Amino acid sequence: MIDPVIIRPEIALDDFLPIFVSSAFVLIFGGFYVGIYTAVKVNLLKKWTMPIGYFFWVLTAYCLYIMGNLMHVGEFTAKALVVAAFGLLLLPHAVYYMQDNVHEENEH
Amino acid sequence: MAKKSVWSDNRFWQRSAAWITGFASVLLIWLTFDSMGQISMGTDADLQSGVTKRVPAPTVINYKITYEMDTKRGHEVPVIGEKEKFFGRDDWSEEEAASLLHLGKLGSQAKNCMNCHTLLGNGAYYAPDLTKAWLDPAWGPTGSMQAMTGKNTKEEAMAEFLQHPSTYPTHARMMPNLGITAEEAKGLVAFLKHMSSIDTNGFPRNFGRMQGAVNGK
Amino acid sequence: MANNITSESKQLATWYFTFAAIIFGAQLLFGLVAAIQYVMPGFLFEIIDFSVARMIHINALVVWMVFAMFGSVYWLLPDETGIETVGIKLGKLLFWIFAAAIVVVVLVYLLVQVGPADETTIWFINEGREYIEAPRWADFGIVVVALGFVANLFLTGMKGQRSGIVTVLMADMIAFSGLYLCGMFFTDNISMDQYWWWWVIHLWVEATWEVFVGALAAYGLITIIGAHRKVVEMWLWIEVAMLFGSGILGLGHHYFWIGTPEYWWEIGALFSALEPLPLVAMFIHVLYDWGKTQGQEMGEGHIDEDHVKSVVTNKPAFTWFVLNAFGNFLGAGIWGFFHTLPQVNLYTHGTQFTSAHGHLAFFGAYATILLGMMYLAIQGSNGIKVLKHTKASIWAVSLITSGVVGMTVALTIAGYVQVLVSRAQMGATWAAYFDGQSGMWFAQAMDWRLVMGAVTFLGFLFLIKDFLSTGKNPVHER
Repeated sequence: MIDPVIIRPEIALDDFLPIFVSSAFVLIFGGFYVGIYTAVKVNLLKKWTMPIGYFFWVLTAYCLYIMGNLMHVGEFTAKALVVAAFGLLLLPHAVYYMQDNVHEENEH
Repeated sequence: MAKKSVWSDNRFWQRSAAWITGFASVLLIWLTFDSMGQISMGTDADLQSGVTKRVPAPTVINYKITYEMDTKRGHEVPVIGEKEKFFGRDDWSEEEAASLLHLGKLGSQAKNCMNCHTLLGNGAYYAPDLTKAWLDPAWGPTGSMQAMTGKNTKEEAMAEFLQHPSTYPTHARMMPNLGITAEEAKGLVAFLKHMSSIDTNGFPRNFGRMQGAVNGK
Repeated sequence: MANNITSESKQLATWYFTFAAIIFGAQLLFGLVAAIQYVMPGFLFEIIDFSVARMIHINALVVWMVFAMFGSVYWLLPDETGIETVGIKLGKLLFWIFAAAIVVVVLVYLLVQVGPADETTIWFINEGREYIEAPRWADFGIVVVALGFVANLFLTGMKGQRSGIVTVLMADMIAFSGLYLCGMFFTDNISMDQYWWWWVIHLWVEATWEVFVGALAAYGLITIIGAHRKVVEMWLWIEVAMLFGSGILGLGHHYFWIGTPEYWWEIGALFSALEPLPLVAMFIHVLYDWGKTQGQEMGEGHIDEDHVKSVVTNKPAFTWFVLNAFGNFLGAGIWGFFHTLPQVNLYTHGTQFTSAHGHLAFFGAYATILLGMMYLAIQGSNGIKVLKHTKASIWAVSLITSGVVGMTVALTIAGYVQVLVSRAQMGATWAAYFDGQSGMWFAQAMDWRLVMGAVTFLGFLFLIKDFLSTGKNPVHER
């Protein structure tokens, strides 16, 4: 096997705090997105709040970008992060779709 | 009754769960076979012919170990250099070195090192990481720890400290006396020296960079 | 206490829960000892050293959770299979063997502490491997007990009407017990040692235990708020797929620095990035089912004049279950995610960050739901229709939760100091380590950790008071 050339730049000392904060916000915003989406779907929140939910997803993706950038993640990890971001976008839709299907089948 | 959708079919999800779990497990087992090959201990012959193993043979205690930047890999790696005396000898045979390491590894568990220190970064966080302890400049010829114990070599200084830790406090937080005998201390030092020669993919980063760092840049 | 229980399985469950609650107390006490030692290093020096206190702290954690998990299974089996648990006599015998073995192990930890560097120590005193320190003789005991437990579960599951929840539990518990075997050997090769050690630790807490929690949450949603079984069980299968799909190979994030090859960076990074997704999903699920059942209740007109009738039949249990969904996401998700990628883990690995994550994740993901199960048992034992909050239960929830969150925040700050000073700046030597530990921010963080630990313990006292008294309280609907 050929050893791939891996260049790992150092993380600057001042970058640690932004990294931790942005990665925490990834999930906090992600949680808000998912929470708002679900709450709207089960009628705990008004319909017009939905765009706010999507806005939180955009913030999530942005934080993920900041974090990846500051950490100098490699190409592969960057791809993995993009997959995770889109996974998060789709997740509540998929869950809601399936749950609703089951409810339809069982309650009517 | 609405049309049955596959997405709301329990059997479908049950099978998916089984397949995904099975697939992940098989992949893990396959990777484990590969990793086992790569982290099994090398032999004395490897050391003599300069073959690099991620975990070298116990006889690595006969050699000088340094931690140097590998530009290709982008981080430090342990480098095994010329012969170096360990407790006055550089001709520890394979059996002797193996039994010394065995004693040391047993000692590290019997004395519960891991519930204060970290080994390879795992354990408790009450005391310093021991992954590269052997390479710590403090134990070197000009280091404070060697001077404190009044010994002339790294290994003797470490062994002395291990036997009478609370005699040599380095901080208000002291290491307790664990009843480590002279022989056990020797084994433990061999264990530490061996551990420092393990290729840990550059962990810890910048080991020993005490001075010269200007805000990490 | 247990007058209203007709099922012997549920009877046995209450034994398990009682013992678990006692060990939970021991965990907190020894945690306090260790926390005091960070602040006053001379405290109990060479009497109960940090290593001993910390060993009992984390072992008690594992043991009380395993006891509560066994208890939970014995509690839900009769409901989920429709029959009395098979081999209950054996179950009771094993309980006493298990409890007695634990007491002996802890006494040896406390009184003997360390032994000479030979096999006798490994066999009779401790194995010195974090979390699974129990000496080898006890390992075999644990295997026997676990086999007996799994046998009971399987025989009952096969004889009765096996529900989806029981099927998941059967598969999960066999993996859970089997994995323990990976931690039962000795090797001179520390990399090999830690490779297999992580099979036990990671595949327990980030795979099999999480699935176990998924099954308990499913059972809880059905019993507490009357969620639809088919929906819940389908959801459980999806969770199993997601948890095992990300969790099994998520093992890679422990293989960055222990001597294992570099490809684990990529595998670890990829699956770690996916690991929060099932936790988010579990969170949605609880919210979804609650909203749905509550919505139905409202739609069907079960409304009295002043307020909508709640569908929750056990308030304290439901509070803990919701905290579980939230805590799992926060502790395992957020606190796990922000130090899991190799680029940053290089600096955070082996610092108080791990400790912060450990505290919040074990509490959020496991302690909460198991305490919720204990409340279900209290409700069942006392024949209560709707169990409500009491003053003590509210104090318990608030104090324990804020205590643990406080400890986590304090440890995170301490970890941050450690990363900057000891790791990034000075390079992880002995001197670098103590430079970090002596920093003002670090020292103050440790003071706050101790204060928050004491708050948690106070909350525990309220919890015990509530456990002992709430059954007789007249506020509940019977």
